[in-house]
Amino acid sequence: MTDRTGYLACQSLRYAISLFIIVTLVFLIPRMMPGDPFISLLGEEVYYRSPELVEGLKAQYGLDRPIAEQYLSYLNNLAKGNLGYSFHYSQPVWEVIAYKMKWTFVLLIPSVILGAIFGIVMGAAAGWWRGSGRDTGITSLFLFIYSLPHYWLAMLSVLIFAFCLELFPLSGITGGGLAGLAKLRDVLWHMALPVSVLTLFGAAYNFFIMRSSVVQISGEGFVLTARAKGLRERDVLFKHVLRNAMLPLVTVIALDFGFMVSGALLVEIVFSWGGMGTLIYDAVFARDYPLLHGSFLVIAACVLAANFLADLLYAVLDPRIRGGVQA
Amino acid sequence: MNEFARNLSWPVLFGLLLLSLFMILAALAPLIAPYDPWEPGRPFLPPSGTHPFGTNDIGQDIFSELVFGARISLFVGFFASFVSVAIGTLIGLFSGYLRGAADEVLMGATDIVLIIPALPLMIILAAHTSPSIWNIVIVIGALWWTSTARVVRSRVLQLREMPFVEAARGLGAGDCYIVFKHILPNTLQVIMAKFILAVAGAMLTEASLSFLGLGDSMQKSWGMMLSYAFSRGGFINGYWWWYLPPGICISLAVLGFVLIGFGLEELNQDETAVNPL
Repeated sequence: MTDRTGYLACQSLRYAISLFIIVTLVFLIPRMMPGDPFISLLGEEVYYRSPELVEGLKAQYGLDRPIAEQYLSYLNNLAKGNLGYSFHYSQPVWEVIAYKMKWTFVLLIPSVILGAIFGIVMGAAAGWWRGSGRDTGITSLFLFIYSLPHYWLAMLSVLIFAFCLELFPLSGITGGGLAGLAKLRDVLWHMALPVSVLTLFGAAYNFFIMRSSVVQISGEGFVLTARAKGLRERDVLFKHVLRNAMLPLVTVIALDFGFMVSGALLVEIVFSWGGMGTLIYDAVFARDYPLLHGSFLVIAACVLAANFLADLLYAVLDPRIRGGVQA
Repeated sequence: MNEFARNLSWPVLFGLLLLSLFMILAALAPLIAPYDPWEPGRPFLPPSGTHPFGTNDIGQDIFSELVFGARISLFVGFFASFVSVAIGTLIGLFSGYLRGAADEVLMGATDIVLIIPALPLMIILAAHTSPSIWNIVIVIGALWWTSTARVVRSRVLQLREMPFVEAARGLGAGDCYIVFKHILPNTLQVIMAKFILAVAGAMLTEASLSFLGLGDSMQKSWGMMLSYAFSRGGFINGYWWWYLPPGICISLAVLGFVLIGFGLEELNQDETAVNPL
């Protein structure tokens, strides 16, 4: 048991430090950049449009106070859940993000799950039949997907399936004017293309890890033993190889979550899906820095949380950590 | 080299072919491109004999933009990859060689950088700096080094126990001398594979940042072409000749690097022999 506690304490410390660094980066970046830091803190719109308002805000935000004091009040605000104020939306940053985040998760969660399943199955198959025609075919296909810019594949899928074949809507979350089940069905219909694109990328990511993991384990002694004692190939694959290859995937899928978030941001923009991606896209154009900072903090916190959960799960699943027996 | 030639599989060959194609395109851009990529003309022309890939919203020839874009995209890819691999190599070398507390700190830092979502952080950094390809190179380079650091470190951990390193130490060689003269040359193979893969990653990241409107408007990369095609109505109006070609170019160039990089990595795994210099 002590091993598990030690492992968890160590991981928690790591995540706490990561979070602290992320929070500090967001504090430091606008203050280190060339030019007037007030632009960076308030956003370009308000800075150029109303100079007299800026003077008032400087005092209100305490930007004329020493940097250590500013840092403390920044941390204090964050602890209270205050991410600042977006002048572009005339709303607190947190309110804007909370609404948009929900829609990003609607895309992200099915894609992460489907991508993991798809990638694991294909990766296991390719690794098991390494060197065969099947392996070459699947691996080439995933290499190609891996090389495509996410948003460009999204544009391509819109061109083919929405523009030419007219099977799916061009963009948006829902056609509007619907309620209940009809609305749900409409949202699902709008989700189909973006989720498919993201699933392909998630699958490509998991595919290579699963494939090399299966290839590596297939070469181990216990697999040879299993074969030597006359087990059927199917039993060797499912009972010996896959059981060992699955465990590290818990962590991999969590790391993949961060990669998928970035992909989702870009894919959303193409589909005008009203989530974090379109929010950040608009914030970049408006140079709405408070919103950009807030978005980064929230996304980073979600990615950290996903990884932390995976580590907890890993500690529960892995008998070497659970039982305190060192391998 | 002979060993390498014998192990060339068809994916690596295909990668080299793609890569040389784009290199030639970039090197001979003024000879290949029929027009000046900045010269305006009749807008939105579909592909025809005079404009093989049509024209964009201000009538610039898309084929010429593509040819010159190869220069910018490859430049950003190579430089950003160089920066990231240089940082990763230094961190990996010292953390593997010194071990102990230095290793703990450096690898702890690597783990932290690995977990921070890179694209959102790059967006913030790029949004605060003025849009220029140099800033993009630095931003990508500063966040892409983690996997190089890990691979180099594990290689160095193997190498530092080898007899030739001990011999050098026994002869009184200093740490810096051993690291750069004996250990670094033996990690080059691993570094090369990472460098090639990092070029692919950097090109994709540049395309993403450009697409988000954070690219350099004075330098027309393939990512900038896609960004304009999207933000200026090419996508909504279905002018496919505007946004398909740059995407195909990015994909094929990245595929070329990925094929070579994966090929090299497989070669490295098979080969365990160390060549003491």
